[in-house]
Amino acid sequence: MTSLAFTLDPDAIVRFHDIFICLAKFSDTVALEAEPDLLRLSALNSTKTAFASFVCDREEFFQKYDFSVSRSNGYSFHGQGGDRFYCQILLKALLSVFRGKVDRGKETAIEACHVELHEDYHQTQCRLNIRMDCAMGVIKSYKLTYEPAAIQHAIFDPSSTTSKWSADPRYLKQIVDHFSASAEQLDLYGDDEQAVFTSFTKKITDGDELLKNPIHTSVAATKADFEEFSVEDNMHITINLKDFKAVVFHAETGMATITAQYTRPCKPIQLAYKIPGIKAEFTLMTRGEADPDDTPSSSRATMPQLSRRTAAPVSTTAQASTTDASFRAMTENTPMPPPPPRNRPLRPLHGSSTQDRLSRNSPTNRPSASAASESMEFDSLFVSQDDDRWDEMITNEEPQDILGWDATGQTPLEGTLRDAEPDFPKPKRRRNQTAEDDLGIPPNATHITGSRHGSL
Amino acid sequence: MRFKAQLKNTSVFYKLTASLSSLGKICWMRLEHDVVRFTIIPEQGTQVWSQIPVETIFDEESYALQSNSDGINIEVNISILNRALRSAMGATHAQLRLTKKDKYPLLALTVLTTEWTEGNMALATDKSVQSDTTTGEVIGGRRARDRETRITQEIPIKILHEGTVEDLHEPHCPDPDVHIILPGLAQLKSISDRFTKIAASDAKGGQMGVVAADGASTATGSGAAALSASSAPKLELSANMHGKLRLSISTDDLKIASSWSGLVNPPLDPGHLNRDEYSQLPSERMREVGDDDESGWARVRIDAKDWGRVLSVGRLSPKVVACFINDMALVLYVYLPGSWNGEESCLTYYINSFTT
Repeated sequence: MTSLAFTLDPDAIVRFHDIFICLAKFSDTVALEAEPDLLRLSALNSTKTAFASFVCDREEFFQKYDFSVSRSNGYSFHGQGGDRFYCQILLKALLSVFRGKVDRGKETAIEACHVELHEDYHQTQCRLNIRMDCAMGVIKSYKLTYEPAAIQHAIFDPSSTTSKWSADPRYLKQIVDHFSASAEQLDLYGDDEQAVFTSFTKKITDGDELLKNPIHTSVAATKADFEEFSVEDNMHITINLKDFKAVVFHAETGMATITAQYTRPCKPIQLAYKIPGIKAEFTLMTRGEADPDDTPSSSRATMPQLSRRTAAPVSTTAQASTTDASFRAMTENTPMPPPPPRNRPLRPLHGSSTQDRLSRNSPTNRPSASAASESMEFDSLFVSQDDDRWDEMITNEEPQDILGWDATGQTPLEGTLRDAEPDFPKPKRRRNQTAEDDLGIPPNATHITGSRHGSL
Repeated sequence: MRFKAQLKNTSVFYKLTASLSSLGKICWMRLEHDVVRFTIIPEQGTQVWSQIPVETIFDEESYALQSNSDGINIEVNISILNRALRSAMGATHAQLRLTKKDKYPLLALTVLTTEWTEGNMALATDKSVQSDTTTGEVIGGRRARDRETRITQEIPIKILHEGTVEDLHEPHCPDPDVHIILPGLAQLKSISDRFTKIAASDAKGGQMGVVAADGASTATGSGAAALSASSAPKLELSANMHGKLRLSISTDDLKIASSWSGLVNPPLDPGHLNRDEYSQLPSERMREVGDDDESGWARVRIDAKDWGRVLSVGRLSPKVVACFINDMALVLYVYLPGSWNGEESCLTYYINSFTT
């Protein structure tokens, strides 16, 4: 029997929401891990090339934090090992619970948020209860379902890195702002004076499609504008631009200086920063031209070289081998766009898990990180040019099309609690993107959540 | 074939490309010695033919064009060009040139900014407040120094041969029945958008009624018909030669109209016409019809969505002369504010009228 209860003050509620927005750019679900002194929220993307983790400190972040595990004889359905508890929750559900809830000064302002989790394997329903205490004595309660999960962490050893830079997130955002919203990759290198960021996308070489080629943007910034920049000259590393944007945008919410550490192409990069009470770490796989000396000649070259641990007790997984056959299978289904010429393909971060059964299922079951919320967030963050009002208005907006999330399925208050999107005309920007990218949440999203709901 | 020029008035260029990109993706851009032409001919909807004097958007001194014909014809994705130009806003130096990379032609935009926007490195300032003075000085030194950032945007293009564009001609239209200067486009756009929204929601309501009433057998057919109607509401725009303009929309259930009066019917340039010919112009005959006589009005029915896209040119705060050819077409002459070197920048929009 595990019980977890914590209380968030209004500031922490906003921080929580920011974290969920960021994690939603990596995955559909957040892994929640509770330990006596911390709460970790993390997400691993479907291709296992990016891992985002936020560690919220018990003392600094929470108003109140209670966590206890009492071992009983029964078999625990949910992941539980030692004195920790872990599960996964749909981000869409959490996002709608926390969205725009802190309207300071308004009569409905939230004064505190209490989250409680009671795991009881004698009950068929396990719920995460979220209670928002609002002004005027209004109380809003939400019950969310959670799922068991094999939680994996990317291992990254900062002490073995050779390249490091750090910069103000606003400075990085100004760089990122020059990139096309549809660009996929980001190449980074430094030379004598400059740090060069280049965004690019796979090229189309057919005659007629030529104009659909994405824009290729490079921004050369002076090294001196970085707080620190010690990177081997002319060593190119490439990461997914969307991941990088997600990091920059979140770091900006906390005005936290981002520190990047890495060794060389095809090895992971870690972007880390601290916001009071929160430690954020993003481990991203890089691609690029690997050092020829470093390339093993056997087919093992494509094999994972990093170890990973699960959230389960270390003792049981420490020996788990990274050459596990099941993982070889997993690395195969990582469709990535072809790399730039002569570059080696992007490899997933990898590792092993004691709960292979679960982890083998999870990457396939999980729809790829929701492009919907991603592009929506990016749009809202990116563009606020003064002349947006000239863009085409969207006429067919029906309020009932907006996805609301109702975790209980039967809350009588549903109608009044529904989160509605503000009715802004969306800026219309034509890009070389598929229709889905522009449409926001896919129409069948409700369906997905519905069926998941049923399966629990 | 060579082209290279420094940009000036980047905000005009940026807004121009933004307005054009609402009508279509592919733009034929023709660089000539005196003017730059932008033409968009979408498969459906409004065409725009524009002519911008070189000095409106480029620095004349630096404008270098070499071609074995009169100009260089380029096909470019105008929204990509627009996106790239965003980087040039507020830059100290921006250059556009024709180049090649891996055999593919490009327009390369190189932008140099020497200072980032205000508020940059504010974090460092916060720190200096908290920490000791030594750090503050170092950071102060960093802030004071000129920062230079070079941005390169490579825009994929296609070079068109003279032969390809030979057959493209601006549409010919009869003399207009009514010509009138439109009121502010911001106002016109907000009213048009409002009307369109009301009509769209009304049609949708009606459609649901139809489906419910008809039952399963006919629901699909009538539903589809209602849907196509609702997706393309039509606005009626009419004007007379006495300074009046009317914008209306009607569905089965409602009709809304908005009227303007006291607008200007500009005189046409009588250069090549003698007095008799001038008085025989359709618009002059319309002028003779009384103010209160409906026969003095010329009207067109236009696609509301398309109209909304056309009106996006309002961001350039232009002067717009609308020429009505009754029941046939609406031609807008859009003049950019201010004239550079006496030559005016003009965008011409050809909008078809739908029959009732």
